[in-house]
Amino acid sequence: MSDQTHLPGHDLAPGEEEQHSVGERVLGYVVGLGLALLLTATSFFIAGTDLVWQPSIPVALIVLAIAQMGVHLVFFLHITTGPDNTNNVLALAFGLLVVFLVVGGTVWIMSHLNANMPPMDQIMPKPM
Amino acid sequence: MLGKLDWSAIPFDQPIPLVAGGVVLVAILAVLIWVVVKGHLPYLWHEWITSVDHKRIGVMYILLASVMLLRGGSDAIMMRIQQAVAYQSQGYLPPEHYNQIFSAHGTIMIFFVAMPFVIGLMNLVVPLQLGVRDVAFPTLNSVGFWLTATGALLVNLSLVIGEFARTGWLAFPPLSELSYSPGVGVDYYAWSLQISGVGTLVAGINLVTTVLKLRTRGMNYLRMPMFCWTTLASNLLIVAAFPILTATLAMLLLDRYFGFHFFTNEAGGNVMMFMNLIWAWGHPEVYILVLPAFGIFSEVVSTFSGKALFGYRSMVLATMAICVISFMVWLHHFFTMGAGPDVNAIFGIASMIIAVPTGVKIYNWLFTMYGGRIRFATPMLWAVGFMVTFIIGGLTGVLVAVPPADFMLHNSMFLVAHFHNVIIGGVLFGAFAGFEYWFPKAFGFRLDERWGKLAFWFTFLGFYVTFLPLYIAGMLGMTRRLQHYDVAAWRPWMFMAAFGMLILSIGVICQIMQLVVSIRNREALRDRTGDPWDGRSLEWATSSPPPVFNFAFNPDVRGEDAYWDMKSRARQQSLEHDEPEYQDIEMPRNSPTGFVCAFFATIMGFALIWHIWWMVILGGLGAWATFVVFAWRDHDEYVIPAAEVAAIDRVNLEERRSLVSMAGIV
Repeated sequence: MSDQTHLPGHDLAPGEEEQHSVGERVLGYVVGLGLALLLTATSFFIAGTDLVWQPSIPVALIVLAIAQMGVHLVFFLHITTGPDNTNNVLALAFGLLVVFLVVGGTVWIMSHLNANMPPMDQIMPKPM
Repeated sequence: MLGKLDWSAIPFDQPIPLVAGGVVLVAILAVLIWVVVKGHLPYLWHEWITSVDHKRIGVMYILLASVMLLRGGSDAIMMRIQQAVAYQSQGYLPPEHYNQIFSAHGTIMIFFVAMPFVIGLMNLVVPLQLGVRDVAFPTLNSVGFWLTATGALLVNLSLVIGEFARTGWLAFPPLSELSYSPGVGVDYYAWSLQISGVGTLVAGINLVTTVLKLRTRGMNYLRMPMFCWTTLASNLLIVAAFPILTATLAMLLLDRYFGFHFFTNEAGGNVMMFMNLIWAWGHPEVYILVLPAFGIFSEVVSTFSGKALFGYRSMVLATMAICVISFMVWLHHFFTMGAGPDVNAIFGIASMIIAVPTGVKIYNWLFTMYGGRIRFATPMLWAVGFMVTFIIGGLTGVLVAVPPADFMLHNSMFLVAHFHNVIIGGVLFGAFAGFEYWFPKAFGFRLDERWGKLAFWFTFLGFYVTFLPLYIAGMLGMTRRLQHYDVAAWRPWMFMAAFGMLILSIGVICQIMQLVVSIRNREALRDRTGDPWDGRSLEWATSSPPPVFNFAFNPDVRGEDAYWDMKSRARQQSLEHDEPEYQDIEMPRNSPTGFVCAFFATIMGFALIWHIWWMVILGGLGAWATFVVFAWRDHDEYVIPAAEVAAIDRVNLEERRSLVSMAGIV
């Protein structure tokens, strides 16, 4: 873990991030918006097209969705690999882990809900 | 005009809640009148209600928790008396009232006692321990506190206007759905938790940011006091887990208000999804509560043993391990719901694994005490009492983590005894230890030791007399939440538990007496040096109570146990004789944003409960407008000139020098 020293006046408290020029920031958001729109449009296009092999469509949609998340993280939430971004990356990793545990666990648990139930034909009386 | 609200909402036919509510109302009115007549209102408004000072907010959190502890405690007394008398009879509480009482008891004790108590202590202490001037977002901190208070107010309002939930503290559907709970009880429950949940989330974000971003010079992660680490872990859990609670309750509310079918029996709803989701929040929640308590015990044990904490790095590792594993065990709350051996075994094993880091902590505390020069002051008594009690609770916990055993014990009094064993023995003892330990820091005088020790012994003893019989009753097959019963074998244990409750109540009275006696003798108990316990971390490096800016200049940290290290260096090199160069300090201005926001949130919550839609819109608009006004503020800081800083700091420096030089002679 890096030796994080926090001299008053040198450290950035929350809300005091280094200010880039307005033009630079606008450009970042515009590029992000463009990419996001492109990915969204592609998704809608792929979903209804018969240009590609049909079973590949769900996979393509998943790939596009993950790319969409990436665009949001980089251009809108400003997650980078810079040294000042360790906390954000760690927070993202923790968040992903928790979402994975809760969603995955829920799917697994709910699909095992009736594991202790006898098969239906054994509890229901046989129809005459 | 007023939705579902009319005169029938006031329970004129039920004397107990009405009289209780009346007495509380009269008491509140009396206090208000006293405040206004004595002219304390401006002081309260400027110094406390609008304060964004983390210490003040921490104190208000703890005050809220203490008041609610009395409320939740009276519920507990009523339940214990009911179960003692209701053998082959109806007792004195009709079922619908008894059901409200156990639901309110659980809700209040977790959300409005344990949560505000630990969040209050974290607020009060963490910035001081990190050597900084405030939390990351001071005004947000105030908003968080007042929203929590809103939730508490709504729960108490249900006592006299309408009713509270009769569903248990987690409001399981389908009982909590509209068809089985048509009244406003569940709505009171859900909306007060939604509103206070926002407050908790905000506090969590604030404290995580504070620990990650605001630390003084040289305070790197592995030099932070243990309490800061447990605060970080606990608040990470808040940020990760509370949204689950909010979403789950939102789905329940959609069911109730708009006829959705998330958790209904019919139309494809699945009640087990609610159990699954609520416990995905609920299990991390118990670690949210107990991790800060572990931090408090670490500070207390190390200070009163006069030694650095044994195995500091293993303690950090254990804390973070608990933080992650706590998200992998939630199914153990519903082993019996029908999942097969694969699922149950995995979650059972995970539940047993999480006991390992906790065990590591217990050994670390024992080894910290080993060879130390132990002082048995009141905080240390609570810490030792905790270790003994928590081990019993932990062992019964590992027992119910075994699925076949859990099939026998699920929903029995054994379970009730188990979770009271860990929550009282862990969280409450921790909160009391922290209260005794940091009280001198917050108010500038120590608490009376004699009454403190009496309070400890009565609570400790009372706890065992109350809850050990419940273990036995559980073994005898008694299930939880019984309004009356016909089994003669349970009765002696219920008598014993009621007697234990009496002892516990004496403990509570001793706590109150301790406060009264200490305030009366405050001059004799005054702490002038700011370091009454010979402490080791930075909160003891400033005066008691600390000035609004905490530290005249940012402390320079060179190792673990920062303040202990400073004291040792000062003794050797008499560095404390140099006058530091004081500078102007910028501090955030007080703001009524939090209070006003919560005022509108209260209106909105109340209106939502009673379906008064125009008032919902009014409250929502008000809260939103308050936020917008705050967001457009021009400047929110004021400057304390260097001369004033110097004047405040010199007094304390003088006292501290005499302490250091006295110690230097020896």
